[in-house]
Amino acid sequence: MPATDPPAVIETRVLTKVYPGGVTALDGLTVNFASGVTGLVGANGAGKSTLIKILLGLIQPTTGQAKVLGLQTGEKVRSLLGYMPEHDCLPADVTATEFVTHLGRISGLPPTVAKERAAESLRHVGLHEERYRLIGTYSTGMKQRVKLAQALVGAPRLLLLDEPTNGLDPAGRTAMLELIARIGTEFGISIVVASHLLGEIERICDHLVAIDGGRLLRADTITSFTQVSQVLAVEVEEGLDRLQAEPAARGLAATTQARTLLVPLGGDDTYDVVRDCVAALSLPLCRLEQRRHQVEELFRDEEEGVANA
Amino acid sequence: MPDSALSPPAAGVIHDLGYRGYDGPRLGRWQIVRALTWHSFRSSFGIGRSVKGKIIPVLAFTAMCLPAFVNAFAVARGNPRLFGYDVYVPSLRVAVVTIFLAAQAPELVSRDLRNHVLPLYFCRPLRPGDYPLAKYLALTAALLLLIEIPLLILYLGTIASAGSGGAVWDQTKALIPGLGVGLMWAVLMAAIGLVLASLTGRRAYSTGIVAISCVLTFILSLLLIQAEGGTTATSTGARIAGLFSPFTIMDGVRVWLGGNPNVGLVANPGRYGPLYGLLAVVLLAACLGGLAARYRKVSRS
Repeated sequence: MPATDPPAVIETRVLTKVYPGGVTALDGLTVNFASGVTGLVGANGAGKSTLIKILLGLIQPTTGQAKVLGLQTGEKVRSLLGYMPEHDCLPADVTATEFVTHLGRISGLPPTVAKERAAESLRHVGLHEERYRLIGTYSTGMKQRVKLAQALVGAPRLLLLDEPTNGLDPAGRTAMLELIARIGTEFGISIVVASHLLGEIERICDHLVAIDGGRLLRADTITSFTQVSQVLAVEVEEGLDRLQAEPAARGLAATTQARTLLVPLGGDDTYDVVRDCVAALSLPLCRLEQRRHQVEELFRDEEEGVANA
Repeated sequence: MPDSALSPPAAGVIHDLGYRGYDGPRLGRWQIVRALTWHSFRSSFGIGRSVKGKIIPVLAFTAMCLPAFVNAFAVARGNPRLFGYDVYVPSLRVAVVTIFLAAQAPELVSRDLRNHVLPLYFCRPLRPGDYPLAKYLALTAALLLLIEIPLLILYLGTIASAGSGGAVWDQTKALIPGLGVGLMWAVLMAAIGLVLASLTGRRAYSTGIVAISCVLTFILSLLLIQAEGGTTATSTGARIAGLFSPFTIMDGVRVWLGGNPNVGLVANPGRYGPLYGLLAVVLLAACLGGLAARYRKVSRS
């Protein structure tokens, strides 16, 4: 990446992790994460969680090294990190305040500071009113917020969030993503969000790092990612076959998928081109929609790109 | 998320008050271990838990202290002290320690396993061994209170009616080895209880494992001692029959170190005394090693 970029919050150098039994989770991963909000995307089993565990210093890489905030991984650097695990990790029979306060103490905060910060963290995630209730009485969305609050309580400089929207309904996902974006921009905390839903996290990320099979697919700013990942879906009531040839004549590589024509979205003028195509053929247009590739499609494109190169 | 999902929650509140970082002092690793130990110690008595969590600790404590209060009345009416400081009421102590351990060791470790809370500990500035260390210190301290406080009540109740300074001194001299035996019980039984309870996150199972292990081994040793002629027998069989349960091992160590062989759970181990001592140390080391290994594994998963 160019020298003008801010210093990396995470640097890995040929990081490889082979689990006992021969499963290779990471395969020579060399990547830098810039400050700001970075999406870590990959399918299940791509090595996202393994990378996070290495960054937390919970497992040792087989070879290679990782630096977090300029420090070697280990217990020192853990006091600067906040981690939100993917799975359920909350006891049911304590209140959110008690639980987050206790974990604040374990993060190394003095007693009164832990209490204050627990109350504040819960307020920031929108659980101010409910914080004295037992966690067992919370909805899934509220539990996700408690998980985020416990990551925030230790005043981290970097948050590692593993699938933070797991198990949430669409509205809950949106609220969680907005919350993460706000933490990244207004709280000045760098964030790594691991997710298999590119379409979801690209809304809030400055950078994206895509991994697959433990190897780096692509690390870039969000704008260059969206260029390859956005398509315009066009549906017409009839004459799809005639329409298909039209964008190609105007310099766009359109593909069909079932009854939809997919046109890569280059910029605003793509809309004009598609409109002109449809108008030229006088077809009944019934849908014109901006779509995002699923991460799997992105990977397929990348692999095809590699194969073609 | 009933209401907050639809209208992005309390956005105004967040903007108004803003986020504040923290640049103040942070606790070192040992201070964090101490904080976790204190938290665990409190929860081993059900403090910070629901009423349900307090029942067993309170009952155990009451049952344990009862003989000491009875003794105070008896001594006040001119009787000699009813129970020894080193053995107290042996069967009661075995029963209460077993029940307390079976209920509270899972409280300390199985709960966190069950709720998958451990990643939240291990992602913080602790080492994998610090978590079991804190739990062990906490349970040892809890057992120590459960065992030693009745001894202190026994002592105070006795010296309250003592006629002379010399009598008080005699009582004190008898109390000190008793406190030592109590310490041995706490140190060893906490290790055994925790390593067994940490095998599973299913609370009922880990309670069962602890209780059954303590009770079955104890009954086995008692039966063997009985079969070899009881606690007064001097045959080799009787002398080593106590090696099969932690409670009888500890009682053998007590007698070996000069305790009264005519009271207690086992026959006088005689020249097999060092074997009891060795076994107690090996058992402790094995349990602590097992506990450390268990959490080294858990921290990586």
